[in-house]
Amino acid sequence: MRVPHRDNILVIDDEEVVLDSCTQVLAGPECRVLTANNGAEGLRMIEQSPPDLVFLDLKMPGLSGLEVLARIRARHPLLVVIVITGYATVSSAVEAMKQGAFDFLPKPFTPEELRLITQRGLAHHRLQQQAAALRREKEMLRENFAAIVSHELKAPLGAIQQNLYALTADLEDKLSDSQKEICQRLKTRLDDLLQLVHSWLRVFAVDINKLKDSFQPVRLPDLIGKAVESVQPHATRKAITIQTVLADNLPRVQGEPGSLTEVLVNLLNNAVKYSFPDSKITVRAEAQGTDVVVAVADTGVGIAKEDLPYLFQDFGRGRSQPAGVAGCGLGLAISRRIVEVHGGSIAVESEPGKGSTFTVRLPAVSAPAANPGPNPERKV
Amino acid sequence: MSEPKRLLIIDDDPDFVAGIKAILVKAKYEVDTAYNPKDGLAALKSKDYDLLLLDIMMGRGAEGIMIARKLGKDPKLRQLPVLIITGIREQMAFLFPGQAVHPHFVDVDELVEKPVEPKLLLQKVEALLKTAADRKAKSK
Repeated sequence: MRVPHRDNILVIDDEEVVLDSCTQVLAGPECRVLTANNGAEGLRMIEQSPPDLVFLDLKMPGLSGLEVLARIRARHPLLVVIVITGYATVSSAVEAMKQGAFDFLPKPFTPEELRLITQRGLAHHRLQQQAAALRREKEMLRENFAAIVSHELKAPLGAIQQNLYALTADLEDKLSDSQKEICQRLKTRLDDLLQLVHSWLRVFAVDINKLKDSFQPVRLPDLIGKAVESVQPHATRKAITIQTVLADNLPRVQGEPGSLTEVLVNLLNNAVKYSFPDSKITVRAEAQGTDVVVAVADTGVGIAKEDLPYLFQDFGRGRSQPAGVAGCGLGLAISRRIVEVHGGSIAVESEPGKGSTFTVRLPAVSAPAANPGPNPERKV
Repeated sequence: MSEPKRLLIIDDDPDFVAGIKAILVKAKYEVDTAYNPKDGLAALKSKDYDLLLLDIMMGRGAEGIMIARKLGKDPKLRQLPVLIITGIREQMAFLFPGQAVHPHFVDVDELVEKPVEPKLLLQKVEALLKTAADRKAKSK
């Protein structure tokens, strides 16, 4: 059996007769009716202990009903408020509903009407409570998922890899070249698998909005420099040149440097991956209106037109993959999320066989390029 | 070389420990193992070690951190160099990858991620032993 829960209903009205009649009709073993004869008193009672349902008169001396409604909405957005319209004007009721009231009850009303609307209001309240609880539960599941995946999947993989390291180190002078190659293959695939688990975690289990907590003014040229440095070894291996073209006096952007660098590394890695050997990649950064735009252009294999719409979705790897290219198709999805948290956008233009250009657009810090002090903008 | 250095590994994953231990034994270290914080602390009290290799995520949570904190409070054990070996960087505590956070639980510590390549492992162990020895020589 359900533990009987007493519903608490607060009626805020300056007319004693309304308060009395509401109490008479609604109060019972399952329902407690609290009353307040002005808006300030009502708000104070809500602060003390939020009720399950509020009846609110729109026309009261002192704080107006709409004012009280606005304050309730600001502090308790989930609280169900039904307005009582004394002068039966539909327009004021409509205004109140626009501002978040659940329903309205025109005066005069019959006990039956009051009971009916109360039942509906309470049902709505219960649904909202359940939805909030489900949201909380979902959030917890997502966070726990991070811990579970990271430990339960990564731990065994790490142990396998560690033992493989030990084994190959131990057999170093006994293994033939082809046997060493097999070990190398095992290591590489295990690394890929660990990386994949890592990417999953990033996409599904991490609340990307938390990035906002560590936003700071960021100089994109610094991040571009770092990103280029990190992919340079791969580029060198394929004899690919990375050229950086940075506009003077580039405004800063508001962001989290680590994740923005990750976006640039992702784009550059892709550019290297899909470029032909002995070609060139260009990274261009410039101000456009109120935005800073960074474009990474390659002259590589390009992307088929039918693949373009799916590119930034999870696991959205193009179907026309060149042979020997590994990837799980999460890099661009992660990049898109990161850029969007920064209030920016990411786009691609591509022509098969000619190459692709990925463009990241981020809002510039609105303050006019503040004096950079002893470290003036430089051209790289 | 003089006497072999004595190392202790505290980690709740015996398979992983085996992989680490084999590399260290091959490099002529004397290696003891403990698979839970309790045994680990008991070993630290009963024997003198030159270095501790410590896992962070054990049991129900970051129990390795509790061990590190206890070491930090012990005037003798806080001299012991600690190599923290962990997969914690991907945990929620660190939202995004980047520079590993240097913990500084005790005087001399370092952090490597699981799995760790033999070369890197031996490098870190040697470096930590050397730093600790230098500190000892200086304080004398």
